[in-house]
This record gives sequence, structure tokens and C-alpha cells, in this order.
Amino acid sequence: MFIEEDADIKVTKVVYDEETIKNRVLELGKKITEDYKGKDLVMIGVINGALYFLSDLTRAVELPLFVDTIGFANIPDTTTKTGRVKITKDVDADLEGKDVLIVEDVIRTGLTTAYLISNLELQHPGSIKVCTMLLNPDRLLLNLPIEYTGFEINDSWLLGYGLDRKGIGRNIPSIVSVDIQS
Amino acid sequence: MAIITISRQIGSLGDELASYLADKLNCGLISRGFALDNFFGELPDGVRDRLNESAKFFMTPLKGSGVTYKDILIEKLEEICNDKRREGENVIILGLGGSVIFGNDPYVINIRVRASDKTRIGRISKRYNVDLLEAEQIVTIGDRKHKRFVSTLFEQDLNDASLYDITLNTDNMSVNECGAVILSLMKERDLSNRIREEVKESSAVDHQSEATVFKNDTEAEFAHILDMYKIEWKYEPKTFPIEWDSEGNVKMAFSPDFYLPKYDTYLELTTMDQRYVTTKNKKLRMVRELYPGTNIRIVYKKDFAELVERLKQFDV
Repeated sequence: MFIEEDADIKVTKVVYDEETIKNRVLELGKKITEDYKGKDLVMIGVINGALYFLSDLTRAVELPLFVDTIGFANIPDTTTKTGRVKITKDVDADLEGKDVLIVEDVIRTGLTTAYLISNLELQHPGSIKVCTMLLNPDRLLLNLPIEYTGFEINDSWLLGYGLDRKGIGRNIPSIVSVDIQS
Repeated sequence: MAIITISRQIGSLGDELASYLADKLNCGLISRGFALDNFFGELPDGVRDRLNESAKFFMTPLKGSGVTYKDILIEKLEEICNDKRREGENVIILGLGGSVIFGNDPYVINIRVRASDKTRIGRISKRYNVDLLEAEQIVTIGDRKHKRFVSTLFEQDLNDASLYDITLNTDNMSVNECGAVILSLMKERDLSNRIREEVKESSAVDHQSEATVFKNDTEAEFAHILDMYKIEWKYEPKTFPIEWDSEGNVKMAFSPDFYLPKYDTYLELTTMDQRYVTTKNKKLRMVRELYPGTNIRIVYKKDFAELVERLKQFDV
């Protein structure tokens, strides 16, 4: 399943198959269409993880909207004072007064999303809300404006539909749980 | 919201700093000129000049009453500050002994702006196009008048450092840099006052004046992770009493490790010894019951390890 040669990772089961994901994305798209009718919607996908979700979700929203992406750098040396978060790809859209919907693949602690929201707030959008494909409510540390959630997950390591390990596994069409050997 | 008092030496850029802050904060600036124009009604001939020239004249009673100009000055300043506080607005008081009048008020930030004599004389010489000797005289007279005003009206020494929250030396600091320091202090003070108000309304204990000394490396590392994500935090700002004996003495209390003001959330790390997890969970439940509306979450050892791991490998 796209990662057979990586001995460190073993797929244990399919958590959400393609059909389930597709149906849930359509439901989310319908809800977003209702909620944002008449609004100035900008959907911002957090790359690379949300690429597939952003692509499917925006096509499920039946409204005129602006699509954009934002990206973060790798975080080197997290355990020392040199670790830092850096935006590698900023949004191109003018967000002032717009209704921003951040599209995430997964939210666990919520720290990345909080950082992203703080950055986008500097552009004075009219509103900022979050849509995430996956959410681990038990690990969430912050109160964030998460308005739309695809599925709630637990602690297991997941791959597919944008989720990766060291850049590999994003293109698996389903969401699968994996055992990591090292 | 803040009331900022600025005491300054002549030639120290204190006036410029006050104008800069008033502009940045879009708020009122109360200077001596404003006070003379607005506090004392219509002044008889010569009185304005005398108030400008003589500190002693502020101790003079107004005709037909026992009230002095000093009394009116204090009353008006307090009135304005109370109004601004109620309306949640900022105001800047330049000179006028503001730091003495509002000393020890946590909602007031008292600033002293100074610079070396050499710097100030140089600035005055340039500003008024006078030679250095004349500039030195201007500085000496200005310092003497400022000092006399505060000592005459309030029996305080203007140079007493305890009157101020911070003293800024503008020998090498620009107005913008000084402004940035004060704006940053304002933000922190706002937060401290918010927590102080919350504490007042409950039986919790305020620890904010204590320095941040982490109990272990994990706490320091977690603080660093929050910094990386530009998430503002306070370390152990509050203690929640959760159990009392029959005499009302606190038997058990809980001090969450971190408070995240923007998210109004307390976090407790249980990463060192998992034997205490059950006790902590119990305390957490009690805090939630006794202090409704308090958002509090535990970061377990496993969470922390995964957080660090995921920071390296996955998005979090």
C-alpha cells in the first residue's frame, strides 16, 4: 500500500476508507455552503497535509470562493532553544474583512493551528474558523474555533489522505493506522 | 487599559515619548498646559503665570474657599482617571506629580524618563540653538523646577526610584524603543490585572509577582515549545485552594503549571512522575467543580513525548 518497502512502518488497519471519506467531505461541503452563503469566503489549506482534503472540500462547496494555501517549515532541533516555527509559504489573498476558513488535515494539540490563526489575524479578516478532517479531542490543549470536523481520532499514528511520515504516505487514498517500529 | 504617568527630566525626550504614546494609543495627554486650561475654570489675570512659575502658588487657596489649586489638580486627575478606567480607555499624564498621586495603583504605569547631563545639554543646545553653557543653565533650572514642584506639593523626592515602575535612559534609546518597552509592559500589566481581578472574585491566590523558576527541564522545554508557537503563557500565576479543614484553613491546593491568556486555559504537566496522575486528576476535577468556567487540561507524559516526536516528524 504505497509504503511496503519501508520496514519501519506497518499498516495495521484501514480506519476510514475512500468511500467514507468522500461522503464525509460532501457532508462538510454542504454545511459550509449553507453557513457561508452570501459571505466572502477564503479557504486556506495548510500544506502539505491538507492538499487532498482542500482539493476535495473546495469542490464540495457550492459557492464562489477564493482558494489559497499556507505552509510551515520543518522544525529543526525542537528540544533546544534553536527550534522554531517558520512560515514557508504565506497566503497570497488579501484577507482584510474576508471570512477565512482554515482547512487542516489533522489537529492534535492545536498548537500549529493556534500559530496559524495568530498569523492570519494580523491581516484583520472578518472571521476565522477552522475545518479539520481529523481531530483528537483528548489531546487538544487550546480552545480553538474548530467549526467543522470530519472524524474524531485517538492517539494512534495515521497515514494517508495527506497524512505522512517523513513525507511518505500522503497519497494513500484511505486513512490507515500504522505501527512505527523505530 | 492603562493610565500612564511620565515624569521626565528636561531634554530627556519625555515630552516626545508622551506624544508618541498618545498618538499610538489614540488617547488623551494631560500635560501642565492642559491642566491650566481645563482644571481651574477661568483664571484671574496673572494667576496662570504664577501657577506656571511657582510650585508654592499651587498651595494657595482659591478666593472664597479653603480649597487649594493642588487639591483641585489632584481631584481633577483622579476624576479623569476614574472615568477612563470605567470606560476602559487609556490616558497619559505628563509631569504634574502623577507618579506620586497614583503610586502603588496596579492600574497605573509610572515611568521616569532620564538621560545623562551631557546628552540633555546637547539636545537643548540643538533644539533652542543656544551654546552649551546656556543649554546647561536651562537644564539646571528645569531640573530644579521639576524637583521643587514635587517636593513642595507632595513632599516627595522626584529622583526616588521607588516612585516608578521603570526608568528609561534615553542616552542610547530612541523614542520608538522607549514606546515599545512601555506598550509591551502595558500588555503584560493588562493581563496581570485581569488575573488579579479573577483572583479577587474567588479564593484563589495570585502568584504573579514571583519570578519564573521552572521545577524541572520538562516545564522549561514545554515553555519553549509554547514560545515557538508564539503562544503567550504565564507560569503558575494562580493557586486554587480545593480543600479546607473545619477552621477554614486550606488543606489542599492546586497550582496549574501554565496559563495561556489568549485561550483562557490552564495546563498542568504530569510528565515527571506518573504515580501522581490520579491525585492530579482528582485535583483537576475539584478545581472544575469549585471554580466553574475554569478551563484546565492535563498534559500527560505520553502527550508530551508524542508532542516532541510529532514536532519532529508530523504536523501537530
